[in-house]
Amino acid sequence: MNGENEKNTPWVCGKCHNKLELQKVKVLYLGGSFEVELMKCPVCNYVLITEDLALGKMLDVEEGLENK
Amino acid sequence: MNLDKLLETGNRCIHSEPPVCNAVCPVHLDVVAFISEIEKGDLKKAYKLMEKRIPFAKLIGKICDHPCENVCVRKDFGGTIQISELEKIVISQGYTSPKKTLPLPKNKGKVGIIGGGLSGITTAIDLDKKGYTVSLYEKSNRLGGKIWDFEEISFTKEEIEEELEIFERQKILVVLNTAVDQNKLAELTKEFDAIYLGTGDWENELKINSDTFQVEESSVFAGGRLLGQNESIITSVGSGRRAAISIDRYISKVSLNASREREGAFKSLLEQETRDVQSAEIVQKHSDFYTNEEAMDEAKRCLKCQSNECIKACSHMQRFNISPDAYIRQINQSERIILGTHYANKMINSCTECGLCEEECFLDISMKNVIHETRESMVEKGKMPVSAHDFALKDMQFSNSNRFSMVRKQPSKEQSKDLFYYPVLSYSKYARGLYKGSGKSGYLFYPGCQLSATHSEVIGDIYKYLVGAMKESTIEGDVGMYLGCCGAPADWAGRQDLMQENIKKIKEVWKEMDQPTFILACSSCINIFEKYCPEINTVSLWEIFDKYGLPETNITPGRRVLNIHDACATRYNPEVHESIRNITQSLGYEIKEFAYSKERTKCCGYGGLVYYANKEQSNDFVKDRISESTEDMLVYCAMCKDLFVEGGKRTYHILDLIYAKELEAAGLKKMPSFSERHHNRAKLKIDLLREIWGEKQTMDLINKYDFNLIIPEDVLKLMEDRHILFEDIESVVDNARKKEEYFFNPETKNYLSRLRLDNVTYWVRYEEQEKDVIINSVYSHRMEVVEES
Repeated sequence: MNGENEKNTPWVCGKCHNKLELQKVKVLYLGGSFEVELMKCPVCNYVLITEDLALGKMLDVEEGLENK
Repeated sequence: MNLDKLLETGNRCIHSEPPVCNAVCPVHLDVVAFISEIEKGDLKKAYKLMEKRIPFAKLIGKICDHPCENVCVRKDFGGTIQISELEKIVISQGYTSPKKTLPLPKNKGKVGIIGGGLSGITTAIDLDKKGYTVSLYEKSNRLGGKIWDFEEISFTKEEIEEELEIFERQKILVVLNTAVDQNKLAELTKEFDAIYLGTGDWENELKINSDTFQVEESSVFAGGRLLGQNESIITSVGSGRRAAISIDRYISKVSLNASREREGAFKSLLEQETRDVQSAEIVQKHSDFYTNEEAMDEAKRCLKCQSNECIKACSHMQRFNISPDAYIRQINQSERIILGTHYANKMINSCTECGLCEEECFLDISMKNVIHETRESMVEKGKMPVSAHDFALKDMQFSNSNRFSMVRKQPSKEQSKDLFYYPVLSYSKYARGLYKGSGKSGYLFYPGCQLSATHSEVIGDIYKYLVGAMKESTIEGDVGMYLGCCGAPADWAGRQDLMQENIKKIKEVWKEMDQPTFILACSSCINIFEKYCPEINTVSLWEIFDKYGLPETNITPGRRVLNIHDACATRYNPEVHESIRNITQSLGYEIKEFAYSKERTKCCGYGGLVYYANKEQSNDFVKDRISESTEDMLVYCAMCKDLFVEGGKRTYHILDLIYAKELEAAGLKKMPSFSERHHNRAKLKIDLLREIWGEKQTMDLINKYDFNLIIPEDVLKLMEDRHILFEDIESVVDNARKKEEYFFNPETKNYLSRLRLDNVTYWVRYEEQEKDVIINSVYSHRMEVVEES
């Protein structure tokens, strides 16, 4: 699960209009925590989770963890 | 969870129990598989199945006395399946010469066989295959014994000799023209590790163990006619086979007795359900043998007996292609996992807990109970996937919040005095009911959360009807009103914590209201009240309608025929079934019963929260039930209607027949979305409080935001599929606009924003046109993303 495929994202930060950058981000689920590279506004820290990511890889990981 | 008890339940399941024909066969030919191959036209495979079980299958198959035919369940439905005839055609058309096998090293021991009849040659061949050096003594000049009685009747001399050539091929020492007596036997016992005696007669009486065929404690074993059973060919063959097993165990020094209960013919525990069996005559042959077509037709008559009534009735076990015994083994395995993936979770959350399996099982095995207990255990251990039931539990939480839930006594006489004048009192039963108010609640109308969302426009009318009807029939108690959710979602989700909390609240209300009888209009509520608060008296709204007469509405008498779909939650409430049928008939409709109805009814697909946990599974139930219907359907549970209409079936709720202004349209009316359900419930509370209790609105439903949401049809569908509510979207957009927390796409001018609400992050993609916010997509995830530098 990472934002590698979003590198050429058309989305920019709405607040500061900066381009998003691939950065290490902490994600938490069911008491576990791990780091993944996701597209992020380097100024405002908003992290982009696209529909494809949320309903694809992210959902797979969620389900995997829920069934552990 | 008590796993020993679980496994015990699994062991009681007889799904894998062989049919009677197989059980009674001394060599246990898999008759059903054999016949199924014939039905498919694959006679070679059918022959392979014979060969696997029957020694010298080419000969024995033709002269077997077929005890299977005597017990065939088809016997009383057109005549027993002609298994012997089928074997004959399979031998004639499906026989292939045996493949050459590599000789095994003969190092397991030496066995002497005395008597080359049916049982002796079977023992000899079986032991040879197991790796013993076998010597066979026969007093006559040929092997085969009784087989020769059938020469020129069932087969030629050449055919017999060809089959017996195996002794030469396997290099088994055959000593012909050699009679063995007591003295010779004594000599042979010294020479061999074990002896098999299959001589038919013996000079003195032998004490033979009927289970192991061992003669006393010696190395001698006896079978065939010496066992004194009967002249049955296949029994002789079977005893030879069992003797070979005993001798192998004896020489290998393992227990002679362990796990051999079902080696010979035994009684199957299977009691084939014949309720739906149609009679079919035996297919007659037109020459010596069946033709291929005749054989296929005869094979089709076979009932393929198996204990699978539960599976036949259950879309869930069908989808997962599993039987209760195997299911229980998987649960057992899943419950024992400490580290690793619980692969069975999805399956366990795909059962509707409707209870039909238990009703179909003559051993009363209830997968409903097993699965319910499993879900509770998963919750206790923290192993229940949150996503499975979270949305439904939040819906329950909403219904028990003050946005919907409320309790009121019947409006007092003082409150209602404006109605107490002529002519209102003369035409309005409701007004008369209020006039007779005693201040003590005898009844509490509890419509439930779902009906209040789908039929909110008639709840007030029903309440007024109840006040009129109950007070008219000299009942002292007033009729109060209680809005809320009974807790069924918590029960289905295995959430005993939430369930008990909910029940406690209901019981408190019940006590505060002078212990009234609850009038219930939802089958799940009826079920939950029975299960968790049996001390509370309940009656269904349908029984009230049946007993006190229908409300005075403009009902157009129906003329059509309806299939009644009983609700699975009220499977064992015959009074509900009866009242629904009485009401329907009194309205002029004709009823056509489903084969699966009343206590055998099926679930619509909502039960067990499967609708949320596995939508595809839920759809299976919907499709299955709709496929059984020949008419429009009538239901009395709001969710049943919702699912069947969604599945494209014209379905009426019993209240539609009474209250719908346009009946035709009501049968196909799209049910409210999740968001609309919330809205309808909240509005119902406000409307009832204002209209009936004269209370001012405590909440308003007016848009409190500075924008208008515009949600196209395709996004509405996404919201339903992805369990996202209108109010979730409002919160995201409001937060985005106020705090400028969003992404922007300069090309499409789309905004994309997120907001975490409780344990879910919701994302909304939208465009803005002045005050209008047009939603283009919505999605969510449960993982929490930490936004920090």
